[in-house]
Amino acid sequence: MRNFVPNFRNVYEIMGNIKIIRGVFDTKLELEHAGIAAGFPSPADDYRHETLDFNRDYIRHPEASFYGDVEGDSMRDAGLLDGDRVIIDRAVEPHHGSIVVAWWDGGFTMKFLDLTHRKDGYIELRPANPDYPVFKVDDPNNFEIWGTVIHLIRTFEKI
Amino acid sequence: MGYGYSLDSHFRKDIEMYGIADLDNCYVSCERVFRPDLKGVPVVVLSNNDGCVVARSNEAKAMGIKEGTPYFQLEQQFPGHKIAVFSSNYELYGELTGRVVSIIRQETPAYFRYSIDECFMYLDGIELDHLQKWGENLHKRVKREVGMPISIGLAPTKTLAKIASKLAKKYEVYKHCCMIDNDYKREKALEWCPIEDVWGIGRRYAAKLQSLGVKTALDFAKHHKDWVRLTFNNINIVRTWQELNGEDAVPNEELAKKKSICTSRSFNGMIPDIEGLRTHVSNYAARCAEKLRQQNTVASIVGVFLNTNAFREDLAQYWNFQERPLITPSSSTITIIQTANDVLQSIYRPGHQYKKAGVIVMGIGPDSPIQQDLFDINAEQFQKMRRLDEVVDRINRMHGSETIVLGSQQYTKKDGKGKADVFANAIKHDFKSKNPTTRWADIIKLH
Repeated sequence: MRNFVPNFRNVYEIMGNIKIIRGVFDTKLELEHAGIAAGFPSPADDYRHETLDFNRDYIRHPEASFYGDVEGDSMRDAGLLDGDRVIIDRAVEPHHGSIVVAWWDGGFTMKFLDLTHRKDGYIELRPANPDYPVFKVDDPNNFEIWGTVIHLIRTFEKI
Repeated sequence: MGYGYSLDSHFRKDIEMYGIADLDNCYVSCERVFRPDLKGVPVVVLSNNDGCVVARSNEAKAMGIKEGTPYFQLEQQFPGHKIAVFSSNYELYGELTGRVVSIIRQETPAYFRYSIDECFMYLDGIELDHLQKWGENLHKRVKREVGMPISIGLAPTKTLAKIASKLAKKYEVYKHCCMIDNDYKREKALEWCPIEDVWGIGRRYAAKLQSLGVKTALDFAKHHKDWVRLTFNNINIVRTWQELNGEDAVPNEELAKKKSICTSRSFNGMIPDIEGLRTHVSNYAARCAEKLRQQNTVASIVGVFLNTNAFREDLAQYWNFQERPLITPSSSTITIIQTANDVLQSIYRPGHQYKKAGVIVMGIGPDSPIQQDLFDINAEQFQKMRRLDEVVDRINRMHGSETIVLGSQQYTKKDGKGKADVFANAIKHDFKSKNPTTRWADIIKLH
C-alpha cells in the first residue's frame, strides 16, 4: 500500500464527499494530472530512498536562515570573495572564531568574531585581509551580532 | 469572586491551557529585522498607497501618533521629529510572520493562526509547572531566530489568555510571558483591563456596558450570569462572561470565522499523491475566493496546510503549513487557486498518506479599486496560464522583481495617465523596504 497509485475510479470516490464547486474545471484538472494511473510495480521500489536535498540537509533551521551577498574583499584570505553568497543561521550561537554578520556603523558587515578581550569590555571584528582595519566594539549601541555564517555558495557556471 | 466558577478548582494538573502569541507591533517589528539601527526610534508603517499610519512602534505611540493619521499630516503635527516611515510591504510581513508561526508549530501540541499577528495555542500535554518557563523560552527563540518580539498570554480560557498577553506586552517584569493560573491573578488582571479591551466585546457592547457602570473586565465578570443574559440576550457576550470567569466557552471553530477564512476537510480515506491533493486544495481555494467576493473583500495572504492521520501511529507522520503573500490583494478564484497550489507544491512530501488539507486566506481587507477583472474559470486557460506563470515567475525570481509582467498585469499609472510598466509603479509606495527573504536581488549586502 505504500505506493498507492490513484486511478480515475478511486480518485472519484475520494471526491465523493467534497462539494465540487465547478465541475468542468475539476474534471479537466484530473485529466491533466492523473495520467499515471496504469503503473507497473517497479523492482526499484524496495530500494527507494529520498533524493538528497540541500534545503533539507543543509538548512537546519529554516526559520532562522537568511542569505547575504559578499561585497568587497575584506574576508579574502578566509576564502570569501566578492560576489559569493553566504547562508546565515541566527539559531547558531556564534563563538570565538565564528564568521559573523554584524550590524555596525549603519550597515551589515561580515567578519571573524574575536572574543579575546571580552573581559576587558570590548570585542573585535577581524577581517581576513591585512588591508582592512580590525573593528573594536566597546559600545553596544548601534552594534548587533545579527547571525552566524554557516555556508558559502559560489557559482561557476551561468544558471 | 464572581458567580459560579472558581479558577482554583479548575486548576488541576489535567486542565487544558490556552496560550496566545501576539507579535508586538507586527509590521514595525518586521521592518526592524533588517534595520537594527531603528531600535528605540519612532517607526510607522503606512497603509496601501501611503495613505495613513497603520502600525506604530512604541516610541511612535508615546509621541502621540495615532493610528489612521494621514501621512501628509505627520510632518505638520510633529515638526522637527525624526520618524522612520515605511510603505507597507506585505511580502516581507507575510514571510517573516510565517517563520514565527512555524516555530510556534514546532513548540506547541496544536495551534490556530488567528490573524497575521496573533496565534492561539492549545497547550495540552505541557505540564503546568513548566508553562511559564516554556513561554519565556518561546519568546527567546522567536526573538533570536527571526528577530521579532512576541508577547505570550497563558490561561485556561482564550479570553483570559488574550488579557494575559496584553499584560505581558505592557510590563517587562513578565519577561514577555504572563500566565493567569489562579483566582488572585485572574482578578488582578481583570481589574486592570478596561471593558472595551476585552476580546469579543465590540465597541457597541462596550459603550452599553460603560453606560451601565461596567468599567473594567472585573466589573463585568462580577455581574450575575442571569443579568448578562437578560441585558444582552446574546450568546457571544455570555460566553465572554463565562471565559472571564475561567470557564472555557468560546468554541475553537468560532476562531476561524473572524479574521481569516478557512476551508478544510478531512478526506474520506487517505490520499498519498499530489494530484489527488491538488484537486481538493483547488476546490477549497475556490471556496475561499467565493467567500471573499461574497463579502466584498480581498485577501493578501494564502496559506495551505496538510496533515497525515495522527491516529495512525503505524504510519509516518507529517504536518506542514505555509503561506504566500499575493502581490495584489485579491479575491480572484484563479489567483487564489494558483497560489494555493504553489504552496501545496512546496509543502508536499511524497511517501505519506494524507488525511486532511485546508486553505486559509488572511490579511483580509476591503476590495480596492485596483482589483483586476474577475474572470470565470476555464480549465484549459488555467493550465496555459499556469505554465506561463511558472516561466515568468522563475525569470522574475532569478533576475529581480517584475522583469517580465503579463499584459493583464499592466496597471494604470499613479497619475491616472497611461499604463504603468509594473505593479510597483501603480500603487504609491515611496518608502517600501526590500524583500530580503523572498527575492534574491534583495538579500542583504555584506561589506
